[in-house]
Formats: sequence, C-alpha cells, structure tokens
Amino acid sequence: MDAALKAIAEPRRRQILTLVRDDELSAGEIAAHFDITRPAVSQHLTVLREAGLLSERRDGTRRLYRAEPAALAELRQFLEEFWDARLVALKHAAEQKERKKKHASHR
Amino acid sequence: MQATAEPSVFVEREIFIAARPETVWELLADARQMIRWMGLTAVLDPHPGGTYRVEVIPGHVASGEIVEIDAPRRLVHTWGWEQGDSVVPPGSSTVIWELVPREDGTLLRLTHRDLPSAAAAASHTHGWEHYLGRLTQLGAGADPGPDPWITGDRV
Repeated sequence: MDAALKAIAEPRRRQILTLVRDDELSAGEIAAHFDITRPAVSQHLTVLREAGLLSERRDGTRRLYRAEPAALAELRQFLEEFWDARLVALKHAAEQKERKKKHASHR
Repeated sequence: MQATAEPSVFVEREIFIAARPETVWELLADARQMIRWMGLTAVLDPHPGGTYRVEVIPGHVASGEIVEIDAPRRLVHTWGWEQGDSVVPPGSSTVIWELVPREDGTLLRLTHRDLPSAAAAASHTHGWEHYLGRLTQLGAGADPGPDPWITGDRV
C-alpha cells in the first residue's frame, strides 16, 4: 500500500479522488476544477491509477476516470502481489525442470 | 452520463519463462507438479467442469472449476476463497492462463477477472480484516513482515 499512501499525500490528488468518487469524469472535466496545466493533471491521474486508487475506462476517444473504492484497491494490490510471487516461483520451477530435461536428453 | 457498468477489478500479468510451453503446462495443469510453485495440496481434474482446489496456505483454500483446457496453450478456471465471508467466494472469479511459444521459451499471460464490483466489495467488509490489519500496521510505521498469503510460507 505504499504507493497508495504516497499518492494520497498530495492535496490535489486527494481533491481529484473526491471529484470522481461518485461521478465518472474525463481528464478535461477534472482539469476544469484546477488552475494547473493539463499535463500536471494527467501526471496526478497516472500516479493515482498506478496506486490502484483510480480506474480508467475508454469511451471512444475519451478516457473516463472514477475512484476505486479502497477495498477494491486493496484487493487488486493483494492479487497483484500474490500472483507476481506465484509467477516467479512457477518460472523458477519450469526453468529448473527444462534444464533437467535438456540434461537428460544430452546424455 | 453515469457509467453503465460497475467498475470491477481485474489483474493482468505477463512473465517470460525460459522453458518450452509443454514444460510450463505440466506445472500448471498437473496437481502434483503445481505444488512446486503454489500451495501445500492441490486437486485438478483436467477436463471442463473438473475440480480445481488448492490449499494455498494452511487453512486457506482457493477453489473453483476448470472451464477450458487446451494443452499446452490455454487453461481457464474459476477461482475463489472457501473461507466464509470472502469477498471472492469459490467459483466467483475467473483465472485465464495463456502460453505463447517464443523462440527460446514461453510467454505466460495471466488474467484474473470477474472480481467483485464496488457494490460487492462494500457489502463484504469482513473479509478485509486480514489486509486492513496489515495496512494499519504499515500506516503506524511498523513492518508487518512478509505476508504469508503472498510469499506462500508454510506458517
């Protein structure tokens, strides 16, 4: 959850999360609430999205944003870490097995 | 305009493995081999409708059923936690494994989808105590240590 804690440390990012808590908004609609540049708003959206606190959906050419409830962000974070650890374990097991197979076929 | 669909969670992962798809497949679809990388015990009946059941750590069992099985390319099974109050009950979500052959190995893609919507999460708060407890410890500056759910440590 480190990423989420860092993401919400910035006051504007907390304001963005409040804006999209109940309504799905485009980046432009979000930016209209602030006097900072669009790229700066995009940057904040990226940080929030990467922390699992914001979901992004495409609607034609627009990208719409909505806050992920904290429980869902937690679930995603947990599953990402869970599967990452399992996949690394699977990779090691498969590569070890492959080496044994090659060794056996070379004898 | 409001969103028509509830935002739901999905997880996508990809990893390159320096082993043939056939080798990776044996570890995915053979219960005896699966426990080399996940779980203490596993049951996997390799046909559509067959049981998929893994004791991930003692007392915590993930289960579902096989939906699609196409060796050594694609395995789809449902997934959930058997423990009561889980926000992801058995069979409720779907895990898709795709093996793409590469010149020197296999690209393995994992998609875990059909996870709960915001409304489901809001109505199942109990299951989050494990994680929220850890979050609270982190917030207080304490290190809760490696999560046995994630490391798969035999606790």
